[in-house]
Amino acid sequence: MSIIRWGERISVRVSKRSLVIGAVAALVLLVISVLTLTAGDLGIALPNLLPAVVSSPGGKEGFVLERLRGPRLVVAVLTGAAFGISGALFQTVTRNPLGSPDIIGIGVGAGAGAAAFGLVWPGILPLPVGALIGALVAIVLVWFGTGRGFSSPSRVIIVGIGVSAMGLSFIQYVIARAGREEATVLAAYLNGSLASRDWADAAIIVGALLVLVPAALLLGRRLALIEMGDEAADALGANARGTRTWSILVAVGLSTAAVSVAGPIAFVALASPQVAKRLARSPGANIALSAVMGAVMLTLADLAVQQAPFGVQLPVGILTAVIGGLYLGYLLVREWKKGTL
Amino acid sequence: MASTPAASTPAASAPILAATGLRLAWGDRVVVDDLTIAVPDGGFTVIVGPNACGKSTLLRALARTISPVAGEVTLDGRPIRSYRGKEVARRLAMLPQSPIAPDSITVRSLVGRGRYPHQGLFNQWSRADEAAVAGALDATSVDLLADRPVAELSGGQRQRAWIAMVLAQQTELLLLDEPTTFLDIAHQYDVLDLCARLHREGRTLVVVLHDLNQAARYATHLVVMLDGTIVAEGAPAEVLTAALVESVFGLPCRVLPDPETGTPMVVPLGASSRAPGRAGSV
Repeated sequence: MSIIRWGERISVRVSKRSLVIGAVAALVLLVISVLTLTAGDLGIALPNLLPAVVSSPGGKEGFVLERLRGPRLVVAVLTGAAFGISGALFQTVTRNPLGSPDIIGIGVGAGAGAAAFGLVWPGILPLPVGALIGALVAIVLVWFGTGRGFSSPSRVIIVGIGVSAMGLSFIQYVIARAGREEATVLAAYLNGSLASRDWADAAIIVGALLVLVPAALLLGRRLALIEMGDEAADALGANARGTRTWSILVAVGLSTAAVSVAGPIAFVALASPQVAKRLARSPGANIALSAVMGAVMLTLADLAVQQAPFGVQLPVGILTAVIGGLYLGYLLVREWKKGTL
Repeated sequence: MASTPAASTPAASAPILAATGLRLAWGDRVVVDDLTIAVPDGGFTVIVGPNACGKSTLLRALARTISPVAGEVTLDGRPIRSYRGKEVARRLAMLPQSPIAPDSITVRSLVGRGRYPHQGLFNQWSRADEAAVAGALDATSVDLLADRPVAELSGGQRQRAWIAMVLAQQTELLLLDEPTTFLDIAHQYDVLDLCARLHREGRTLVVVLHDLNQAARYATHLVVMLDGTIVAEGAPAEVLTAALVESVFGLPCRVLPDPETGTPMVVPLGASSRAPGRAGSV
């Protein structure tokens, strides 16, 4: 920990280690971004990249930058960050490394919403808006299902599992009814995909981040106290219940925005706070670092699916699910060895 | 430190921390009913009583971590609920029975968390914070362990680190919920000696304990609870009698002067002279 002071009234505490790791991760993110824009047949040649970004050219480069890969990259960075922060908040509040907004049914709710407005009542609303509505319905069901809002993490998780199951059965029902082609389109969305995102998608996630990131940072210090147990946090004047409810609301807002733009991309929210925590070796929520890690993970996975020689373009959610599944296995084994499971 | 700066205007004898007509409940189950207590300023108050008598619940209410169903806890004569959370935490520190040490936290960083009520968004780590943490580490003799992870400490060291955390809050009132549980006997006395020293240095202590002999040895004011009410309180030598211990704990005993300190010492009667059916009832 090092302290930056201006006079006697203003002081900020930062961990040197977190700063260095954050800077390195940001550099990695920059490299991935450059690769995303330059790689492959459609890539902008590296020497042309900086002029292209500065001067917004026309032609092929302009198309790739402004329509094809630019918005997709921006959406990947920002949704990755949103997933990362929401996971960090959720895991701190539940004191559980397996805690993630996915488990309270946001992803499945978004999928069900997309299914409803994509196939059952097509054409009324665009798919992302349908997803947003589905996610909100899931959250409302969880809120009322627990009987006490979001104040008890274990109830939130249990009711979340129930709501997820309901959402999943609705999706299965819709897919069973749907024609083959429609089902394929929906399936791509249900896995989470960043293909053909535009600036409108980016605007949704920018708006959510502008409101919710400051809120998350404000909650950060009180969140660190919740780690010591509700009673200790209350005794220090941090109001555990209120902090928990607000944190879950912020986490839900961030992941709902991310899911409505990119679909329920698996495991970024689960894994990035853990990676951040392990690298920073510090207690607390590590909000900023989790955001950067989420962005790195999602952009890297998206770069892989864009450039991998699969023939067809896979939705990025499938790749993150595979990596995340391996990671989850590792996490379970580790917790089991530690005897905490 | 214990002297109240401006409190001489209202009744000077009014205690800093008190409660009247307190009713506390977990859900529908009333644990404490119509309880009134005045915590003696500058005293070392120890609360004892059988399991589930409501002593921890009372401590939590005094620390404002639970709110009463009826009645009021007052701090400086004002309802404690009318203070802001951080304001209370600058006057009164409370160590719960089993707080959780976050993963990979060091002793210094744990103790630093006790400074939260003194900090703000723009003043996250002042020189006063620095000094308070150093003082707390020193007072609890964990200064040499400051950069070790809490998880690596022994039980006794860990408890001292937690006490350092509440000391860093720099409050005149210190509430500890069974601080000796899970410690071996030497470390129990270690923690109690530390409490006694903090008391001598001017802090007001309220401590929940299980062991009657320890309570009698260290308390200046003993509070005995049964079924959610206070059945006796006062100086240990006056309060702790064989009749009281038998009626509250169901344990026939003799009370002798502690050969070391002269304070009352509870010695249970042999099994043969105890009434049948009572022996295992606690």
